Amino acid sequence: MKRHFIFLLFPALVGLAMSASAASHKKPTAKAKPTASARHQSAAKTKPVQSIKPPALANGDLAEARLLTIYQLMAKAQSFEALAKAEQLVKDHPHFQLAQLVYGDLLAARTRPVRVVGDVPEPLLTAGAPVLSELRDESQMRLKALRERPPAGALPSQFLALSARNKHAIAIDASRSRLYLLENRPTGLTLIADYYVSIGKSGLSKNAEGDLRTPMGVYFITSNLDPKSLKDFYGSGALPINYPNVLDSARGKTGGGIWLHGTPPSQFSRAPLATDGCVVLANPDLMALIRTVEVRTTPVVISQSLKWVTPNTARSESKPFEAALTAWQNAKSSGNMNQVLSFYSPSFNSNGKTLTQWTPSLRSELNKVQGRAIQLKDLSLLRWTDTADTMVVTFGEVADGTRTGPTKRQYWVRQGNNWKIFYEGVIG
Amino acid sequence: MKLARTPIFTTLRLLALAFACTTPIAYADDYGDVNQMLQAGKLNEAMVKVESYLATKPADPQMRFLKGVIQRNLGKQAEAIATFTKLTEDYPELPEPYNNLAVLYAGQNQFDKARAALEMAIRTNPSYATAHENLGDVYARLASQAYNKALQLDGANPAVPPKLALIRELFGPNNKGQHPVAPALASAPKAAVAKPSTPAPTAPTAVVPAPPAATTAPVAAAKPAASDATAKEAKDVEEVVQAWARAWAAKDITAYLGAYGKEFDPAGKQSRAAWEAERRNRIVGKNAISVKLDNVNVTVNGSQAVAKFRQDYRSGALAVSSRKTLELLKTGNRWLIVKESTGN
Repeated sequence: MKRHFIFLLFPALVGLAMSASAASHKKPTAKAKPTASARHQSAAKTKPVQSIKPPALANGDLAEARLLTIYQLMAKAQSFEALAKAEQLVKDHPHFQLAQLVYGDLLAARTRPVRVVGDVPEPLLTAGAPVLSELRDESQMRLKALRERPPAGALPSQFLALSARNKHAIAIDASRSRLYLLENRPTGLTLIADYYVSIGKSGLSKNAEGDLRTPMGVYFITSNLDPKSLKDFYGSGALPINYPNVLDSARGKTGGGIWLHGTPPSQFSRAPLATDGCVVLANPDLMALIRTVEVRTTPVVISQSLKWVTPNTARSESKPFEAALTAWQNAKSSGNMNQVLSFYSPSFNSNGKTLTQWTPSLRSELNKVQGRAIQLKDLSLLRWTDTADTMVVTFGEVADGTRTGPTKRQYWVRQGNNWKIFYEGVIG
Repeated sequence: MKLARTPIFTTLRLLALAFACTTPIAYADDYGDVNQMLQAGKLNEAMVKVESYLATKPADPQMRFLKGVIQRNLGKQAEAIATFTKLTEDYPELPEPYNNLAVLYAGQNQFDKARAALEMAIRTNPSYATAHENLGDVYARLASQAYNKALQLDGANPAVPPKLALIRELFGPNNKGQHPVAPALASAPKAAVAKPSTPAPTAPTAVVPAPPAATTAPVAAAKPAASDATAKEAKDVEEVVQAWARAWAAKDITAYLGAYGKEFDPAGKQSRAAWEAERRNRIVGKNAISVKLDNVNVTVNGSQAVAKFRQDYRSGALAVSSRKTLELLKTGNRWLIVKESTGN
């Protein structure tokens, strides 16, 4: 037998030169941006649906929690654990760009020092600088909202009173890119979830169509659009709100089609300032929202910076207005037309009718009541204060001796110490 | 013959350099021939030679390894991947096939797979320099991919695949890996991952400061035997290790397997039963085995002990010298092997 003395040594390494920095420049992908006309067309075709079947629970909110865990591991220099968690996160959410960025940092940290979030090497930095800065903003905003929590038991100052019919309320804080979802429990408004959101490229305070701003004010969800009727761009659903509302119209604001909607398949979330005016949530978050809230009765407050107050503060702040409302109620119950009219502002406008044009319908209402007392059922008071102090009031108006009455909405404005009605209409 | 199946074969690459330098080398002619053809670019010729060799010795890992290299150079990526994959299955302790597998995956931009293979290579042999270098490259490429996704840059134009070091020979004279490269994976540039600028939000106020990023120094394994008692324990351990080697040489399979504790975890994905069957098969089937241990160095720490030594193994056509480390655990009055690894 031939004997092989195999001298087994380490391999001869044929080191084909390696180049770690061979990353290529790439042009940014063109993102589908719907034109205004396309948007309105799609909105027009869209049938509102009352209920939709939720898909299997996806945990968009958990994605953020997982990202946070990774940050915390990084802060503790546990980069192995952080890397493993980041790898799993991007596997589950490959289009979560911020997670990809952090994953990239953790991988890069195995070969070189990483100094900042998104320590992207030079060629990529040149090509991706705008997106990188957006992702850093997103990271900041998410962390800010998670760090600066609303005080326990507090509620946004706009929600002075909600009726039992308002089962939920939404409040959006632009300074934190955050949407807070509250549940109206017998014990009071309770924060049940909050989500990262993107708003208009030019920020808040919409004035005109195409100004790329998100409106500020008090709104209601008007419908729940069938996702099947929506383009991919809007993600897994859409909840339109009633911009422009009565106050906006009175101020001559234009535009429309402001929705809370999801993200396209290629993006898990968008930059803090990214939309044409809509409020955009990650699809799993939007789905959770859609499953929870109610059309028409869920108010949506959009504010630059929410002020959270205690329920007691809200109650005491609503007292002066409630006195005015009661006075109006008593005047109407007494059937004294002139007294009732004194509550209405000269600038009154109800769906195009001036006060003079609208007075006959008020008169016929008073005739029907015939001096019976009227009760206000399911009263909700939403206050919006900017240059003006306004109140959005919703109630069921029921005359004594009758079992039901119309649901009405009024907009009041404070003039000195007096509150005046500048809109009144039946909403159901 | 069963030459290639010799279990110790998997540790052969650790043969002492000195041995190679001082002994007239009867270099395996067939390997040398193939290698020369490979270097000269005579790939088809080399393949013919490899095939005819493998016809008689189908399991030979070195020739199979060369076959994989040739396949790769012929542009037959899929076949080369199959060859190296099979090698990693048959010889899970060899790092080189993992490395080359990683190179092939990386060539296809499958960096996740490349990473997994390289991490296996390093697990197999923590001082394996090529795998470390390649892994660094793969990490950088994965980072680049992640950054591209993060920044939504067009990934349609894949970057030139990285040039990872492919190992041409499983067994060559340039014993590069014998000199352990400084950074083992654990101490690799585990850089200060910058904290997110606004960290640890849930903690109400306390912000966890990033501790110094440097990872812990390699665990100090060697603690000088402080007392006589420890010295005695060390002697006991050495005796257990020598008895283990004697049982192996004597093909006393019961005593040999009896030296391993129930905590012993075989390398790779083998079950304990499969490992025992394999050891039995490989040891009992030999004509004669010689196992000699040199420079046995034992450190004892409580009920744990580590024995490092040079192991000279001979059987039939094989002569292998390698570094070996046994970790032992005192169970009752007996020291039992709980981990066996080759290399430094």
